[in-house]
Amino acid sequence: MNRITKDKLFIYCTKLIIGISLVIVFSILLFILYKGYKGLNSGFILTESKSFGAEGGILYQIIGSLMLTIMAGIICFPIALGAAIYDSEYLKNPKIKSITSTLIFGLNGVPSIIFGIFGLIFFVNILGTGISWLVGSVILAFMILPTALTASRQTMESIPKKYREASLGLGLTKWQMIRSVIIPQSFSGSLTGLFIGLARAIGETAPIMFIATAFSGVTIPYNFLQPAVTLPTHLLNLAQNAVNPSALQNAWSTALVLIFLVVVFNLTAMILRFKFKTYTPQR
Amino acid sequence: MRFIKPKSFFSVGRLVAFCFLLFTSISCVKSGRETIKIDGSSTVTPILDKLIEVYKIQNQDVNITLNSSGSGTGINLVGEGTIQIGMSSRDIEQAELDRFKNVKFVTYPIGKDAVIAVVSSEIYDAGVKALTREQIQDIYLGKIKNWKELGGPDKSILVIDKEKSRGTRHVFMEYILGNKDAEAPGAKLVLGSNNEEQTAIAQSDVAIGMISLNWLNKDVKGLGLIIGDKTIEPNRENILNGTYPIARELFLVTNGQAEGNTKKFIDFILSDEGQKVVNDLGYVSIKN
Amino acid sequence: MKKFSVGYVSVLTAKWIATLILLSIILVLFIYSGESIHQIGFGFLSETWNPGNGQFGMLSMLYGSMAVTTIALVIALPFSIFGAIYIAEYSPVKYRLFLKSAMELLAGIPSIVYGLIGVAVLAPLTGDLFGLTTGRTIATAGIILALMVIPTILTLCEDAFSQIPKSYRENGFALGLTRYEVLKNILLPIAKPNVMAAILLGFGRAIGETMAVMLVIGGIDKLPQPIYQLFTPGQTLTSKLGREVGETAFNSLHFSALITLGLILLLIVLTFTLVSKYISSKKFRSA
Repeated sequence: MNRITKDKLFIYCTKLIIGISLVIVFSILLFILYKGYKGLNSGFILTESKSFGAEGGILYQIIGSLMLTIMAGIICFPIALGAAIYDSEYLKNPKIKSITSTLIFGLNGVPSIIFGIFGLIFFVNILGTGISWLVGSVILAFMILPTALTASRQTMESIPKKYREASLGLGLTKWQMIRSVIIPQSFSGSLTGLFIGLARAIGETAPIMFIATAFSGVTIPYNFLQPAVTLPTHLLNLAQNAVNPSALQNAWSTALVLIFLVVVFNLTAMILRFKFKTYTPQR
Repeated sequence: MRFIKPKSFFSVGRLVAFCFLLFTSISCVKSGRETIKIDGSSTVTPILDKLIEVYKIQNQDVNITLNSSGSGTGINLVGEGTIQIGMSSRDIEQAELDRFKNVKFVTYPIGKDAVIAVVSSEIYDAGVKALTREQIQDIYLGKIKNWKELGGPDKSILVIDKEKSRGTRHVFMEYILGNKDAEAPGAKLVLGSNNEEQTAIAQSDVAIGMISLNWLNKDVKGLGLIIGDKTIEPNRENILNGTYPIARELFLVTNGQAEGNTKKFIDFILSDEGQKVVNDLGYVSIKN
Repeated sequence: MKKFSVGYVSVLTAKWIATLILLSIILVLFIYSGESIHQIGFGFLSETWNPGNGQFGMLSMLYGSMAVTTIALVIALPFSIFGAIYIAEYSPVKYRLFLKSAMELLAGIPSIVYGLIGVAVLAPLTGDLFGLTTGRTIATAGIILALMVIPTILTLCEDAFSQIPKSYRENGFALGLTRYEVLKNILLPIAKPNVMAAILLGFGRAIGETMAVMLVIGGIDKLPQPIYQLFTPGQTLTSKLGREVGETAFNSLHFSALITLGLILLLIVLTFTLVSKYISSKKFRSA
């Protein structure tokens, strides 16, 4: 076999493989779309679930999931932003920098179920909060912190030195400089990171199933110590009942709604990245 | 590169202050409407789910949350004081009484139920309609591996066991193997809730499992029990008159005598109206 | 005292919180696994798990985790690496964004949805296809997991190739090498550490995945008979945790034993993650 045939063959192989991957991706998506679309109507989205979700809709599951996720964002964002500011503006010791960034990198790898167990021990049992949606939000916030933090730090570190020098030259204190230059310039980059994290958070089941959710009977939690019902845990219940046709139909529709929400969060991240072109890090 | 005008609402200080306020407010909202938290047996869950639905029509101001993580969990959480009502499909065990020495468990029987050995409809239709206790025992011990040995088709048996903390398993294994914690070396799958087990049996065509009366359907058929020369069918009459042996009472468990809203809710369950719900769902009311 | 302004204190606090989360997770798991490590010790290295009789053997779970992850990687690697090479090296620029978005879409599907696909579609299909008594097997879980890790590994591999400067390829072509030869002799050696890092990270991700695996693996604490028969039900560390943690009394020996499983899982994942970071930190720098 000569070199040219070998070259062509190899490229043909890579094309074939990417083709197969695409077929898999789109068949999964189309399959869920096809299965889920049938049960999807305004009644499904706007009514309460009945008899374990086999009947009725998923109104409170959607609300619960959004509450959990948005609260996770509210908790996560200041921590991520603050830690990133500290890293990029104050932290000079390279040793501490490498140790702490290793810890953050490690945190990013922690399996989601471990977060759930940690929440169960630390919040539900040691602090005695009981099963509460706020605890779920805190745990989700911890889980997405590395994503949000790294994005914020990369944006801040990519701001040219002359911006800092110019503002300090104008007589601003360091903190004034951070407030008026670093934070505004890196804001959209940080938000992008946050929304990428939130897109992951909304689909997670394992971290919240022990600590934040109830099976049924919950509408909208009226205080922080109530459990919520969420889309992923609802889907878990329905998946275990996958032989009952109406439960299965609702499961596919719930899956479709969940994927839709994930896509919405991801698109928001993308729009933030392109619309506000301050110093958003390009991957 | 456009320089964005500094805006004061970006201030980190304010964000921190906001979070601080948020967290302090959390500690203040512990009061509020009383919530009844319920958790426990997946067998009892459908009853409570329906009862809550009916109860809420008349009592819109109470808040009742329902979880379904198994009898063991329900009893533990009542002992720990995290929830008000536990659901159990078995009696409270000595080990549990020992663990929570300071807790006075009170049980409220709310209905009766039977655990039934079930098979995939294909096996039932092929002629395996009833088994003896010893035959089921041999299946779970792994001594009988093929349906042929029991007069069925020449197919190996998919033996489905349940997680060891499940009340349904305790009752079933107590009868079949004589010990609620007995190992079942013949098992091929171990599943959790009745729903999950029902799904697995329906998806298969060679499965045997254990399930509550209420989960039988056209794909999941209940086996009769052969005792002596009689076959006892798993139906409501036999459970009512006590001839079907693997029967049990379903309980609610509280920490001390129920009080306030919890008591009101339990009273409703035990009332004629509540017990009618139990009957309508296919369980057996305690009033019978 | 400018250093102690409100702003400085608050960012310092944030930094401390972020730094301490991982350490406190490890600490909490360590404390709560203590009782069982002390009482069970080498008893963990048996096959039987029966809390009622005080038996807590984790061999079947360790084996299951390793088997499922290995299957997933064996399936996922060719797709990820060849796919990454195509996207980074050969795809027309106008398709590149499309291909990367498709991968991001795949990465965004929550694991519970894969679980649903596994239970409702893949498990019955596997059962029928191979004539098994049940389709809920170690191999089924491996296949589902492969789908889930492909986007992670592919994206990282793609980065490994696309960060190599253009001049390397141009020099290769100028010497008359074919595209395949450029890839094999020039690009692959440079990208190798980062590809390795991507594989290790993918391994860490896969072994920690819970929901999908838990729904399709069958949940039985037994080693397959014979041991290489992967079309039998099994158990992984994560599926065991997912099924049992919620059902166990806090502070019991059983709970502590489960936390030990969690600690072992965490240590495995952290090792892989950090080794991966170490490899890729020695990354190629352009001249």
